[in-house]
Amino acid sequence: MKHTSYLALKYLVVLAWSAFVVFPFLWMLSTSFKSANGVTGGATWLPWLQYEPSTAGWSALFGGPGGVNILRPYLNSVIVTLSASALSLVLGTLAAYGLSRFTFRAGPVRNGDITFFFISQRIMPPIVLAIPFFLMLKTLGLLDTLTGLILVYIALLLPIAVWVMVDFFNSVPRGLDEMAWMDGCTPVVTFLRVILPNAMPGLVVAGMFCLIFGWNDFFFAFTLTFTKVQLLPVSIVALNSSVTPWWALSAAAIVSVAPLAVLAFVVERFLSRGGLAGAVR
Amino acid sequence: MAEITLETLGHRYAPGLPYALRPFSMTWQDGGTYALLGPSGCGKSTMLNIISGLLRPSDGRVLFDGVDVTERDTGKRNIAQVFQVPVIYRSMTVAENLGFPLVCRGVPAARIRRRVDSIAERLGLARHLKRPAHALSADQKQLVSLGRGLVREDVAAILLDEPLTVIDPQLKFELRRILKEINEEFRLTTVLVTHDQTEAMTFAKEVIVMNLGEVVQAGAPRALFERPATEHVGWFIGSPAMNFLPARQESGRVTVPGTTLSAAAPEGLGEGRLSLGFRPEHARVVSESPQVAGQVERIWFEGSDEVVALRAEALTLRVRLPGGRVLATGDRLGISVPPENLLIYRDGRLVA
Repeated sequence: MKHTSYLALKYLVVLAWSAFVVFPFLWMLSTSFKSANGVTGGATWLPWLQYEPSTAGWSALFGGPGGVNILRPYLNSVIVTLSASALSLVLGTLAAYGLSRFTFRAGPVRNGDITFFFISQRIMPPIVLAIPFFLMLKTLGLLDTLTGLILVYIALLLPIAVWVMVDFFNSVPRGLDEMAWMDGCTPVVTFLRVILPNAMPGLVVAGMFCLIFGWNDFFFAFTLTFTKVQLLPVSIVALNSSVTPWWALSAAAIVSVAPLAVLAFVVERFLSRGGLAGAVR
Repeated sequence: MAEITLETLGHRYAPGLPYALRPFSMTWQDGGTYALLGPSGCGKSTMLNIISGLLRPSDGRVLFDGVDVTERDTGKRNIAQVFQVPVIYRSMTVAENLGFPLVCRGVPAARIRRRVDSIAERLGLARHLKRPAHALSADQKQLVSLGRGLVREDVAAILLDEPLTVIDPQLKFELRRILKEINEEFRLTTVLVTHDQTEAMTFAKEVIVMNLGEVVQAGAPRALFERPATEHVGWFIGSPAMNFLPARQESGRVTVPGTTLSAAAPEGLGEGRLSLGFRPEHARVVSESPQVAGQVERIWFEGSDEVVALRAEALTLRVRLPGGRVLATGDRLGISVPPENLLIYRDGRLVA
């Protein structure tokens, strides 16, 4: 009896929390199919359900009346986020392994200082970086290009990757490296075949961080591009006008959240199914 | 397999610091079994790391079969090591773990499989080959570590760094037996690092006793037991520890005051703190004219033996007596030690 009531309580809590989390998405979904009337007028009896469906919001995303075509910005965002994340992950992982395993010395500067130097890049507010980035890209002729954005995002994502990975590599026992050397492994093979598989969870975490940050950034995408190249967050904001198009913004929010939601779902499955079982102590 | 020569080998972690390992020379024969015995921090691990190449010595050279390998990288030395805490490649299966050293050497897959199968068979791991290595128990992981050494037919030496420390007591005995068997069968140069004297004495042909970064004595287990080179060795090896009684030089003999324990002083004994040492096992109970007489202070029952702490005025000494005696604390007891078992130490070092 006690067990049953405990179970009921448990489900109640979980249910309440789920509703709290899922509700905004449902609201977004229903709003995206409403017309101006449906949003402002409200329902007589059944809120969120009683309205006349309209595809105006969705058509606005693809160049419909009062909208912009988000296909191109969407693709741009995918390209920039994926390439910047992948490059940051590769460079960051290599740097982190070096910082975790080898001793660097430059005067009073030690490994810990170098690691901190990486992180310190993220301490200042982004606005401080905007002007230097702008000037640098201008000099390089990379303003308003995908390459320029990718480079800037790498500068922003690399510290995160290094920071997360240094921690994970430090938790992989050094004895493992030493054993691999004794087994006749070269340092590169040791890193790739022995240490990296053990730092898999770290790679997933760092990768998630990079993707989320890269995908959601508005500020740099806004300041460093003008007309030729546009990223998704910027084009969503461009949907806005004197009359706020809730329906179109909702539809845009859904398409921009979707990839991350799917990713989170897959990673969660992967982690809980034991895709990484045994990779950590 | 290789003969390992250590030539005036020593190490300081930084110039100016005291030696973590004081320079010494030694040769380990091909296929021999050696044990490095000493308390923690005595330099055992430093020595092991120098041999495996993880550490470059500040002094001296390391030679494998006469070839100088002092500057050679770990990976090129062909050494295998079993660590104190089981280390395995967690992301691989048992078979992949065992085959990894051969993969690193570019051995063809078919040969790796044959070799892995035969070694796994020998180590009793054949049933586990397909399992992920992290699922094994601690003792099986140690066997996998050992196996990674054995798969290489030409492995120069196997270093065992306190491999039994984290193993359960019952399994420890079993694993020790396997280690010894494997060693006899494969005839590999094996170096066991341990602070457990029983482990060292039962495993190795030659035991190297270390203390405070110094090799104090190297020799067969019996020699270490019968004639410890320093008081430290006598105290470290054997249970209970050896008795060392403060002594004086009197008319050509070294005598323990208040007793008739004495030994002829060798020529040129010189000045210094003198002591007479003997093993608790070498004392005999005598009823007439004992060399030392005292009161039984404590008795430890050890199965077939009894260890008795005897108090004679300011001296306390321990003797091991065959059991079955009816002794009680407070009893008077007289003992003698045969002259050949009385050893003279000056400033803690054996002189005669």
